[in-house]
Amino acid sequence: MEQSALIWLSLIVFLPALGALALVAIPSDKPDVIKLFSLGVTVAVFLATCVVAFGGATDTAHFEKGVAEMQDAFSLPWIKSFNIYYFMGMDGISFTLVMLTAFVTMLSMGASWSIDRHVKAYCILFLLLETGMLGVFLALDFFLFYVFWEVMLLPMYFLIGVWGGPRREYAAIKFFLYTLLGSVFMLIAILILYFNSDLRELSADQLVAAHVVDGVDAAEAIRSEPKAQHTFNILALSTMGQHTQLFDDELFLGKSLQWWAFLLLLIGFIIKVPAVPVHTWLPDAHVEAPTPISMILAGVLLKMGGYGIIRICYPICPDAAFDLAWLVTSIGVVSMLYGAFAALAQKDFKRLVAYSSVSHMGYVMLGIGVWSATAGNNYNPEYWQMGMNGAMFQMIAHGISSPGMFFMVGVIYERVHHRNLDEFGGLFAKSPVYSGIAFGIFFAGLGLPGLCGFIGEVFVTLSVWNYSHVLAVLSAATVILTAGYILWTLQRVYLGPEYKGPHGDHITPINGRELAIAAPLLALAILFGVYPRAIFDYMTPSVNKEVEDLAGWTRATKESRLLEQRVELDRRRGIENDPLIGEE
Amino acid sequence: MNPLLEPVGVSHFMAVGALMFVCGVVCMATKRNALGVLMGIELVLNGANINFVALSSSFLSASGKSGLGLDGQFIALFVIVLAAAEAAVALAITLNFYNNHATVDVDRADELKG
Amino acid sequence: MDTKTLASLLPILLGIAWLLPLASFTLIVLFGPRMGKHGVGASYLATLAIVSGFACSVVALGLWMWVHPLSSAHAAAPEESIDAARQHEAVVDHGADGHASGHHELKTPIYYTGDLYTLGQFGKLKVTISFYIDALTVGMFAMVTLIASCIHFYAIGYMHDELHDVTDHEVVLSDGHHLHRPGRFHRFFQYLSLFCFSMLGLVYAGNIAMVFVFWELVGICSYFLIGFYIERKSASNAANKAFIVNRVGDFGMIIGLMALWGGIGTFAFGDMEEPDGTTSRGIFSQVRDAENGYKLTIPDGMVRATVPEVVEEVAVDHRNNPDPLAAESEIASRLSTYREQHYGYWLLVIAGVGIFCGCVGKSAQFPLHVWLPDAMEGPTPVSALVHSATMVAAGVYLTGRFYPVFTPEARLVIAYCGAITLFLAATIAITATDIKRVLAYSTVSQLGYMMLALGVGGWVAGLFHLITHAFFKSLLFLCSGSVIHACHTNEMPKMGGLLKKMPWTGYTMLVGCLAIIGAGLPPVFGFWPFGFGLSGFYSKDSIIAQAYSFWTENPTHGMILFAAAAGGASITAFYMFRLWFMTFIGPPRDHHIYDHAHESPRIMYLPLVILAFFAVVIGWTWPGVWGVTDLLEQARWPAEASAGVLLPNLHYPDEHESHVPAVHLVAGLTAFSTALGGFLLATVFYGVRWLNAAEARQQFAPIYTFLVNKWYFDELYDFLWVRPAHVVAGVVSWFDKQVIDGFINNLARWTRGLADIDDLIDRYFVDGLVNLTAAWTWSFGNSLRGLQTGKLRQYVMLIVIGTVALTIIINFASAG
Repeated sequence: MEQSALIWLSLIVFLPALGALALVAIPSDKPDVIKLFSLGVTVAVFLATCVVAFGGATDTAHFEKGVAEMQDAFSLPWIKSFNIYYFMGMDGISFTLVMLTAFVTMLSMGASWSIDRHVKAYCILFLLLETGMLGVFLALDFFLFYVFWEVMLLPMYFLIGVWGGPRREYAAIKFFLYTLLGSVFMLIAILILYFNSDLRELSADQLVAAHVVDGVDAAEAIRSEPKAQHTFNILALSTMGQHTQLFDDELFLGKSLQWWAFLLLLIGFIIKVPAVPVHTWLPDAHVEAPTPISMILAGVLLKMGGYGIIRICYPICPDAAFDLAWLVTSIGVVSMLYGAFAALAQKDFKRLVAYSSVSHMGYVMLGIGVWSATAGNNYNPEYWQMGMNGAMFQMIAHGISSPGMFFMVGVIYERVHHRNLDEFGGLFAKSPVYSGIAFGIFFAGLGLPGLCGFIGEVFVTLSVWNYSHVLAVLSAATVILTAGYILWTLQRVYLGPEYKGPHGDHITPINGRELAIAAPLLALAILFGVYPRAIFDYMTPSVNKEVEDLAGWTRATKESRLLEQRVELDRRRGIENDPLIGEE
Repeated sequence: MNPLLEPVGVSHFMAVGALMFVCGVVCMATKRNALGVLMGIELVLNGANINFVALSSSFLSASGKSGLGLDGQFIALFVIVLAAAEAAVALAITLNFYNNHATVDVDRADELKG
Repeated sequence: MDTKTLASLLPILLGIAWLLPLASFTLIVLFGPRMGKHGVGASYLATLAIVSGFACSVVALGLWMWVHPLSSAHAAAPEESIDAARQHEAVVDHGADGHASGHHELKTPIYYTGDLYTLGQFGKLKVTISFYIDALTVGMFAMVTLIASCIHFYAIGYMHDELHDVTDHEVVLSDGHHLHRPGRFHRFFQYLSLFCFSMLGLVYAGNIAMVFVFWELVGICSYFLIGFYIERKSASNAANKAFIVNRVGDFGMIIGLMALWGGIGTFAFGDMEEPDGTTSRGIFSQVRDAENGYKLTIPDGMVRATVPEVVEEVAVDHRNNPDPLAAESEIASRLSTYREQHYGYWLLVIAGVGIFCGCVGKSAQFPLHVWLPDAMEGPTPVSALVHSATMVAAGVYLTGRFYPVFTPEARLVIAYCGAITLFLAATIAITATDIKRVLAYSTVSQLGYMMLALGVGGWVAGLFHLITHAFFKSLLFLCSGSVIHACHTNEMPKMGGLLKKMPWTGYTMLVGCLAIIGAGLPPVFGFWPFGFGLSGFYSKDSIIAQAYSFWTENPTHGMILFAAAAGGASITAFYMFRLWFMTFIGPPRDHHIYDHAHESPRIMYLPLVILAFFAVVIGWTWPGVWGVTDLLEQARWPAEASAGVLLPNLHYPDEHESHVPAVHLVAGLTAFSTALGGFLLATVFYGVRWLNAAEARQQFAPIYTFLVNKWYFDELYDFLWVRPAHVVAGVVSWFDKQVIDGFINNLARWTRGLADIDDLIDRYFVDGLVNLTAAWTWSFGNSLRGLQTGKLRQYVMLIVIGTVALTIIINFASAG
């Protein structure tokens, strides 16, 4: 099992990189061959994920529905002296995102046909990017995770900076610096956690469960080591965060080590999400990036932030997550409202879609953060489960609708070469099929029932009430704004008697290739909207388990700490208010 | 003591050698003709050779046992060979110089100045 | 046939009726343009789907009445047969004094409910697609499919123009020509099918979340249909307005949903059997607990949600208890004291008012009524189906469906909302000249009536009016469509005298007008106690009767609400006959239009006749066999007379009390006299024209302007909401660009500045030192150059001198 997992997961991750290597051999004066080859590689990766998802053959890795734990995990020593492992595996949270990545990448490779400069370099970078993205979702070793995170960054920089629009250098550098800032914070946090981790604190069973070692004997051997055993193993770190006191030492300004680690990681991840106020790289990057890169950016890269928060921030630093839940949710709601308002004011079609991403990803933050499993709720994890599942669903749904929206913008941009919202109109009459699909996809973004956006938004919104009434009302108010900016956009672009901008005669109906990209997106948007369990069945067990673990932690650990704090607070207040206490 | 009254010994040879050496040096320093300079060099070398030969001769030493022994004579032979080689090279340089400048005046050959 | 068979048959029958339009929609989307010439086949397909749906619904209705025979509301107790799945019965002494029988049994209405599939489940929280079928559902299905069928037929004729290329005279292109475009016949029927699917889904829905799903879907259908003429700016504006205003209502609805979800943790209406054999309790039975005599009960979850400190205390005590149920049971045991103190009551109020907010949006109630008149931009069949008979009635339907959950306070809000709306809309309708707008305001006003009825406790009255109104209002709209089809204008001042040209249309519309004003013979005591008339007569009478009955218990509120209802009846009569007279009676005002006017084709006026027939008879009752009220009575949740908690003086009379002759006589006479008054006034102004309408307009100029401008609501909202939203959006965008990005860019600039300084230091200080050393070395070497003359003889001299000097130094040194 482990052997097949090793082969298949490595294949999925590194197939694009191998493809990129092979591309070097193809002469660069045959752009069509290069594109076809790259498309073939992305299709192969997608098929490989499909085999893992649906194939039941014994000699392949197989993702079992309904299992909460890590599946198909394997671990090989990589850099022994720092306990770094080539450790990968998947559960419901990562696997759905891997599927999404493979799917969106495949479609955006198809959308790359209009790239005509330096095709070979483009395809090589594109495939490297895919390796980085898949690696991020599958890596379970923090160091490996970080390596993939950075691997993804560089191709993106070039893809925006070379093949982008007029202000591409600015956008690319902005994207790069923002993300790099996040990575640096993340690196600090990784090191903080690494140097304070100690495998000896875990029980033998926990060590085995975290895939640190294979058997109990080896685990006992680790436990009897004389020196602290640091680790990058994300599962082991999560266990430490939830079951030991390792990360609770005070670090700085009276805050614990995990508080700082959480904050640093959170900043790193919300830059990627992106959440207000560190979101401004997104509109620029989107506006300048070529269409397929926008699709990947919106469809996959933004999900890494949410994924990181769910996979890393919350399980490893639960105490800090509990204390800072207000911050996470507030950022979410502010992003939702802010993004929606900003979208309302945009004149540039692509910028508007970019801001809608900010707004939609706010739901993700909000859903993750609604820690309603507190004593006042008798540690009932169900609403939080709903919120976090909704957030995960929203990530997938946004990964379907947002690339679709960007692609729709790209299709019209390729024909008329402008994106000014005031200079469109009447497209419905000129190319009805394109407009029909665009309506479907934009309505998915609007959160119309029966389309994928609805489920995530509603599940998140409904879960908020038991956490905070104010945030709940604010998040509900977003639906009005969303309807406002999307309908107004559709009206300005697709409705009306005639097209108002330049190159009107270039508007041709959607062609077969474009249809082949747009139609699957719309079809999935409908499928997930009508039958969301197509996703939930995969992810819910894992998400639920994480929430239950954290709820259990709240009950078993956090509550005592809160009580201590309260007692301490009361004591201090008592001394201040009542001088007699001291005398007694 | 008067050296002229003494029996011929090492010091006499050394005096001749020194004279030849000084002559050679003066010749090198004053001659503008390159061949003259070469002759001066030969004088310097042979002056030194005389010293070697004299100091290695067992007949000249009072004790009948020379200081340097055969070593001195070997060195003398070595110097002669060296002088021959050196002369060959130097003459070649001179010829070449003459070909280029139509003169053998060493003062005109200042192209190596810093 | 027993109830079990019925329980398995009904969901299938109604499910087929529900899904057939979806199939039709899908087929038309995919193959619409290829269906026959210009897509004419699409209309046949859509019509076939909805007619089959109607057949299914009628069969379902027949089965229902066979298994659950109607019993007159005033006769003995209802049938004992209830859904085999659950039987909640409670016989409570009611003690309504004036009631005919004095006592009647309270029991849970008959309903069948079940899950179709689950959207998502988290522990006990479950969001599903489910059905809830009771008498109201069955009745609504029959009504919606019947009207939709008629309108489909009508639309085949009305949308005939779209079968070939169309020149849209309302759209002027930039080159000055009118827009010329290909027809979109199939697309119209595609939207109609989607709408039918959504509307039926809304009625079929077994939980409030599913209602919300289809709520949004009918909204989007309405958006498409209003904006059917996508080239017209006014149409797309109206479509946007409709959807966004509805979203404002949905905002409230979501809050209501959240309060319910957070408190109760279920959306299901009825009790449902789980796969594991247990019964999960729905919202209704939690709020109206049979064991509690159907009194308003605050559900456990809501009480709990309002006393977190108690839950916390218990939870903290039990946090190390291995038995997770211990804490739960202790919490449950503590709740009853808080329930008695009405903890959680406000959550129930929020849930009720929140859900009602959604209804306000959908049913175009004050203050969200502004979208409906603009929605008349859509083709007339749409106005008839979507914006009068069904979709806008969905708000009333949901209010009725959700009735058990509304607290007395929420009901009062509903009543006032309805009263304000009905008066407001009626006054605006007086001055409107666009024939469809008059009808639109009339719709708003009639919906206000329904809300008012529900708000004052007249559950059956409100829903009864919903059904009768659906028939006569769709009839009126179709008639107006027929007129517009003939005249190519909406403006009534350009019509007149059309009765001769269009007798079918004219007379059916007269029937509609009579129905809407509630024409009939008033009750004559001792002879016929409940009067006799057209369908609207019964429903409007029962509303006014209920308002009167409410007045007897609540002097202040009751008086206002009753006055609104009675006054509204008078205005309704006036503007409806103003419309009819202006259109069909008197001399033609525009001869060009008059000369070209013609009766519509048969496919258009036959539906009118059918609808006119129903507009007359749908309100009639044949005791024990048929009667809309009796059917509805089977679906009524016992909502006993209860006093408010926040407003303790608020009392709700039982609806049966309004059937008492003493109440009914007053109500009937009031309704009759006010309607007659309105009718006579209209006759005086527009029928026989004894008075000149223009003069009256002059006389009341300020009021006229105020009404013509629709009370300036559009301007007010534009000022209050739309502009501020855009301003805020602008500010946010500016903030983004200037502040955040400005900060980032400045940061970059500062960093670059810092780098420049660093560069200077590097260049002039660090490099300076290095270069200085090099320079010194260089000049030193340079100074030594002079020695190198290249002169051989000098070198020899130097060697000699050097050797001599060395010798001397060594000698001296060794000597020294």
